[in-house]
Amino acid sequence: MKAKRTFLCVAVFAAAAAASAAPLSSSIKIGVVETLTGDNSAYGISIRKGIELAAQEINASKLLGGSQLALVVADDKADKQEGISVFTKLINDEKVAAIIGPTLSGTAFAADPIAQKAGVPVLGTSTTAVGITAMGDYIFRDSLPQAAVIPGTLAAVIAKYKPQKAALLFQADQEYSKSEADVFKASLAKLGIQLVGSESYSKGDSDFRTQLQKLSSKKPDILVLCSLVGEAIPVLQQAREIGIAVPIVGGNGFNSPNILKNAPEASEGLIVGSSWFIDSKVSASTAFVAAFRKKYGGDPDQFASQGYAGLYIVANAIKNAGSIDRAAIRDALVKIHGLDTTLGPFSFDENRDPICQSVPLTVKAGKYVLFQ
Amino acid sequence: MDLSFFADPVFLVQNLVDGLSRGALYGVFAMGFTLIFGVLDILNLAHAATFMWCAFAGWFVMAAGGLPLPLGLAAAMLAGAAIALVLELLAFRPLRREGADKLSSMISSIGASLIMVSVAEAAFGVQTRRFPDKVLDPKPFFIGGSGGVRISRAQILILAASIVLMVGLGLFIRRTRMGKAIRAVAANQKAARLLGIDVNGVIVVTFLVAGALAGAAGILVALLTNNIVPGMGGQIELRGLAVVILGGMGNIEGAVVGGFLLGLVETLTIAYLPGGSDIKDAIAFLILFLILLVKPNGIMGRGKAERA
Repeated sequence: MKAKRTFLCVAVFAAAAAASAAPLSSSIKIGVVETLTGDNSAYGISIRKGIELAAQEINASKLLGGSQLALVVADDKADKQEGISVFTKLINDEKVAAIIGPTLSGTAFAADPIAQKAGVPVLGTSTTAVGITAMGDYIFRDSLPQAAVIPGTLAAVIAKYKPQKAALLFQADQEYSKSEADVFKASLAKLGIQLVGSESYSKGDSDFRTQLQKLSSKKPDILVLCSLVGEAIPVLQQAREIGIAVPIVGGNGFNSPNILKNAPEASEGLIVGSSWFIDSKVSASTAFVAAFRKKYGGDPDQFASQGYAGLYIVANAIKNAGSIDRAAIRDALVKIHGLDTTLGPFSFDENRDPICQSVPLTVKAGKYVLFQ
Repeated sequence: MDLSFFADPVFLVQNLVDGLSRGALYGVFAMGFTLIFGVLDILNLAHAATFMWCAFAGWFVMAAGGLPLPLGLAAAMLAGAAIALVLELLAFRPLRREGADKLSSMISSIGASLIMVSVAEAAFGVQTRRFPDKVLDPKPFFIGGSGGVRISRAQILILAASIVLMVGLGLFIRRTRMGKAIRAVAANQKAARLLGIDVNGVIVVTFLVAGALAGAAGILVALLTNNIVPGMGGQIELRGLAVVILGGMGNIEGAVVGGFLLGLVETLTIAYLPGGSDIKDAIAFLILFLILLVKPNGIMGRGKAERA
C-alpha cells in the first residue's frame, strides 16, 4: 500500500514536470530596455518608474507564488546599435524570460528582430509606429499604434473647430515621427481636411522658425506636430512666438508632462490622443495613481501607466503559462484576455497590438484633461 | 518652385533675418572652436560640452538665482574660461608635454567631452531648462505692423553679439601684445619659445578666451532656442565644425561669415524650395563642398603659415 502511494506521487510529479519543461524558478529575470539618458529619456525614466512599481507590487502580492520577478534594467540611449547590443546581452548572458521595451520605435526596428530570431517575447510599452508588431510573432505592444489613436483625435478636433486646412511639422530622420506624420496625412485626407503644408526638420535642429513661418504663411486652421520631447518644447514655443494662434494637435510624443512643465504658456490648449489620462476612472488606474504618488511623490504619465500595465501583462502571461519557457510565455501572452489593467480590460488583437480605447486630451492649466 | 513667395518682400526679409540669426548662432559657437585650432592645430571636441555647461551655469545664475542677463552672461563666460582652463591642464597639457601627436589630443578631448556630458546628465537629469520670461521677454517685435517682419530680442542680441565678439576678438589678436604672442605661438611654438614667449602661458590665455566665447555662445544659443539640455552641445557641434572649415580653419572672421552663410543657405532652402526642409542639410553641405573645391582653405582662409 505504501509502495503504491509513493508510486502515485512520483507519477503525478513526473506528469507535472512533463507539462512544463521549465517550471517557475525562484527568481524570474525580465529585461527592461529603456532610454534612460539623453534628450528623450523623459519617456524611458517614466516607463521605468511604472515598471518598478509594478514589480514591487507583483512580488509583494505573490502573484507568481514563490517566484519573484527580477528586473534587469538597461539603457538603450535611444540608439539603434546600443539597442541591439543590449538586447543581445539580455538574451544570451542574462537569459531573460521576456523583454519590455525599447522606448523608441526606431530602436525597436533595430533591436526587436534579435529577440524575434532568438524566440524571446518582447512587449513594447511606448512604441507607436506602423509596423512594430509586424516584425514577428514574438513582438507585442500595449501602446496604441498611431493608426488607432490619430483618427479619433482628429475627429474630436473636427467636431469642435471644424478645420478646413491643416499644416504639419515632423522630424524627417526619426522613424516614430515620420510614421506618425504619414498616419496624420492619411487621416486628414480621409476626413476631408486639406493639407496645405508639410515641413520637416532633422536631428540636431534647434531653430524651427523658418519651417513654422512657411507653414503659417499657408494660413492653416490647425497645426499638427510630430516631435519627441527634446524638440517638442522649442517647436511649441517657437510656433507661438512667431504668432501661430490656431489649435495645435500633437502626436504621441506630446504625451509627456515634461513638455507642459517646460513650455507652460505655449502648451496650453495643446490637443493629444492617449491611451490613458490621470483622471481615468478605471479602478486599476486609480489604485496605480495613488501607489505611484506614494512611491515617487509625483504624478505618473501615460508612459508610466503603459509600463506598469506592461509588466502586469507579462507577469500574468508567465503565471498562466506556469513556466518560464519563452515560447510558452509567448503563447500565454496571445491568450491574455480582458486583463484588468490601468488601460482598462486588456486584450491583444490578432496582430499583437492592444485593443483599447484612445481618448482625446487637451492641456488646461498645465494638466492633461479630457478634450470635449 | 513656389513663385508666389518671391513676390512677398516681407517673407523674404523675414527669412533673411531668421537666416542671419540662425547663422550668428553657428558663428558664435564656432569662434572659440576655431581659435583653439588656429593656435594649437588641434580640434578641441570638448568645446561643445563646455558650451553646454556654460548654458547651465547661466541658467542657474539667471533663472534659479534671479540675477539679470548681463550677470548671467558674465557668469557663463567665467564658467567657460574656468572649464577651458581645467581642460587645458588635464586633457591637453600632459599630452603636449609628452610630445603626443595631434590625434591623441583630439581623442583626449572626446573623452573629456563624454565625461562632461555624462556628469551633466547625472547632475541635471532630463528636465529641459528654460529661462523665465523676465530674463528676456520672448515676445518678438514686428517691424511694420503686425503683418511685418518679426524679430525677437534674442535674435537682436545674438546678431549684435556675433559682430561685437568677432570685431573684439579680431582687435585682441591683432592689436594687443598678448594677441601678438598668441599669433607667434600659432605660427611656430618652438620659435616663440626661443624668443622668450611663455608658450604655456599664451596657451592658457587662448583657452581662457576660447572658453569665455563658449560661455557667451552657450547663453546666446540657450536664449534663442530656450532649450537647455545636456545634449545641446552635440546638436550644434557638427554644424560648428562645418562653419570652422568653411570659414577657414583658425580664422575668427571666417567662422562668423561662414556661420552667416550656412544659416542663410539653410533658411532660404527651407523657405523657397519645395520640400526644402527635407533637403536643407544636403543643400547646405553640397554648397560647403563646392566652396571647398574652389577655396580649399575656406572662404577667408589663408595658407597655414599666415594663419591666426
